[in-house]
Amino acid sequence: MNFYLLYILVALAIFGFIAAFALFSVYAERKVSAFIQDRLGPMEVGKYGVLQTAADILKLIQKEYIVPTLADKVLFGLAPIIIFLAVYLGFVALPWAPGLVPASMNFGVFYVFAIISVEALGIMMAGWGSNNKYSLLGAVRSVAQIVSYEIPIGFAIISAVMIAQTLDLQVINQNQGVLATAPVQFLGFIDVKAVGGILAWNVFQAPHLLVAYVIYFIASLAECNRAPFDLPEAESELVAGFHTEYSGMRFAFIFLAEYAMMFLVAMLGVTLFLGGWNTPLPNIGTLKLANYTTGLFWGIFWMMAKCLTVVGVQMWIRWTLPRLRVDQLMTLCWKILTPLAFLCLVISGIWKLLLF
Amino acid sequence: MIEQVIFYILTAIAIGSAAFVVTSQHLVRSVFMFFVTLFAVAGLYVFALADFVALTQIVIYVGGVLVLLLFAFLLSSKNSLDAISEIPSGLLSANRLPAVFIALAFFALLYYVFNSVNFESLNWIQQAKAQNNIISVSDNTVRNIGVNLMSKYLLPLELVSILLMMALIGAAHIARKEPKTP
Repeated sequence: MNFYLLYILVALAIFGFIAAFALFSVYAERKVSAFIQDRLGPMEVGKYGVLQTAADILKLIQKEYIVPTLADKVLFGLAPIIIFLAVYLGFVALPWAPGLVPASMNFGVFYVFAIISVEALGIMMAGWGSNNKYSLLGAVRSVAQIVSYEIPIGFAIISAVMIAQTLDLQVINQNQGVLATAPVQFLGFIDVKAVGGILAWNVFQAPHLLVAYVIYFIASLAECNRAPFDLPEAESELVAGFHTEYSGMRFAFIFLAEYAMMFLVAMLGVTLFLGGWNTPLPNIGTLKLANYTTGLFWGIFWMMAKCLTVVGVQMWIRWTLPRLRVDQLMTLCWKILTPLAFLCLVISGIWKLLLF
Repeated sequence: MIEQVIFYILTAIAIGSAAFVVTSQHLVRSVFMFFVTLFAVAGLYVFALADFVALTQIVIYVGGVLVLLLFAFLLSSKNSLDAISEIPSGLLSANRLPAVFIALAFFALLYYVFNSVNFESLNWIQQAKAQNNIISVSDNTVRNIGVNLMSKYLLPLELVSILLMMALIGAAHIARKEPKTP
C-alpha cells in the first residue's frame, strides 16, 4: 500500500514544483522584460516586488468564473484541465538526477513527445468552446503552428536519439557523463568516458547535434506559443487568442500550463542534448571534478541550473524579437527548419555507421 | 486486482464514450469524445503490453487525425452541417437500421468466436510457451519492433513509406500556387 502512497506523493511533488516554478518565473519574466525595456517592473508588493505573483494568484483564486452565455459550457470548462494535464503528464518521464525519475520507462522520449501533442486538442477545445471569433482564430493558429512545428522538433529529437541509441531518458542522461555504460567519444573519436564533464555531452559527442539543438529550441518556442511565435495570442489582432474568455482559476491553469510547458521543453532539450543532470566540469588529471560533482543533489542542481538558463534565454528572446507573420512562420518551419532537421538526421545515420 | 479494476474502468470509458460519439447530436462534442475513446483504447493497449502502439495511437490519432477532423469540421459550410442534423436520428430509423444490424451481427460473431475457442489450448500459444517466446512486462518492446521492422518486415515498411511519399507529393501539388496563364 506504501507503494500507492509514494505515487500520490510524487504526483503532488511534481504539481508543487510546477506551481512554484510558475510563481517564480512569472516574477522573473516581469523583471527580465522590465530590464530589457529599461523599466523597474513590479516594485510595490514586498521588497523589489517579490510577492507580486503571490498577490496575483490570490486575486485569481477569488475571481468569479465567467462563462459566456453562448459558450459550449462543457468544452469551455474542460479545456483548461486538458491543457494543463497534457503538460503535467509530460513531467512524469523526465529524470531529475541519477536514480531519481518519477516513472522510468524504456520509451520516455516518445512518451513525452506523444503526451504534449494532446495540448493542441485542449487549445482547440478552448477556442471552440468559447464561441468567440478571436478565440477560435487564436486556437486555429495555435494548433496549425503546433502541428507544423512538431515535424522539425521530432526530427531533431530523432537525430539525438540515434546518437544515444536509446529512447530511455535516464539512459540517455547516463551516457553523457562519467556514469556512462556505453562508449563516450568526444567529437566521435576521443574516448572521454573517464573524463566526463562538458566533453561528454551529446552536443559535443556529435557536433551536428548543436544544429539539431538550435532547431529544437526554435521549434520548442513555437510549441509553447511564445514570442516570436505568439501569433495565437497576438494582442494587437486577437485580443488574447484562445484564452480571451477565460478568467479566474481557469485562466490560472492555462497560464500554469504555459509556464510548465516552457520548463518541460527546456528539460527535454537539456536531457537530450546538453548532458541532462551531468556536470559540466571534467576530470582533470587527479582533480576528479566530474566525480565530485555527480550525485543525487548535484544532479538536481545541474538540471535546475541548465533548465533555468534555457528558460532565461526563452524570456530574453521573447522580449527582444518582434512577432513573425503567419507566412513567415510557415516558411521558417517548412523551408528552413524541416530540411535542416532532415540533414541532421542523415548526418546522425552516417555518423553512427562510420564511427562504430 | 487493481490492474483488473483499471482494465474494467478503461473498457467502460471506451465503450461509453464510443456510444456517445455515435449517438450525440452535437458534432464537435462527439469529435472531442472520440479523443476520450482513443485515449481509453490506448490504455487498453498498454494492458496488452503494446505500449509502443499505445503511444503511436496518441501521436497519430490525437495529434494528427483528430485535429484534421476538427479542421475539416471548421472548414465545412454551415448548410451542409445543418443538412446532417435534419436527418431523422431515432435508433431504429431507416438510415440507422443497417448500421444497427451490422453492429449486432458483428457482436454476435465476436461473441461466438470468444465462446467457442479455448485460448489456452491454441496450438501457436502452446508452442510459444514451450519455446519461452513470451514478452514480459519489463521487456524493451521498442527494440524488438525496431529490429523486426529493419529485418523481417523491411519490404512492407518501404512499400508503406513509398505510399506516404506519394501522398505527400500529391498534397504538395494540390497546395501549390497555380501557374499564371498569360
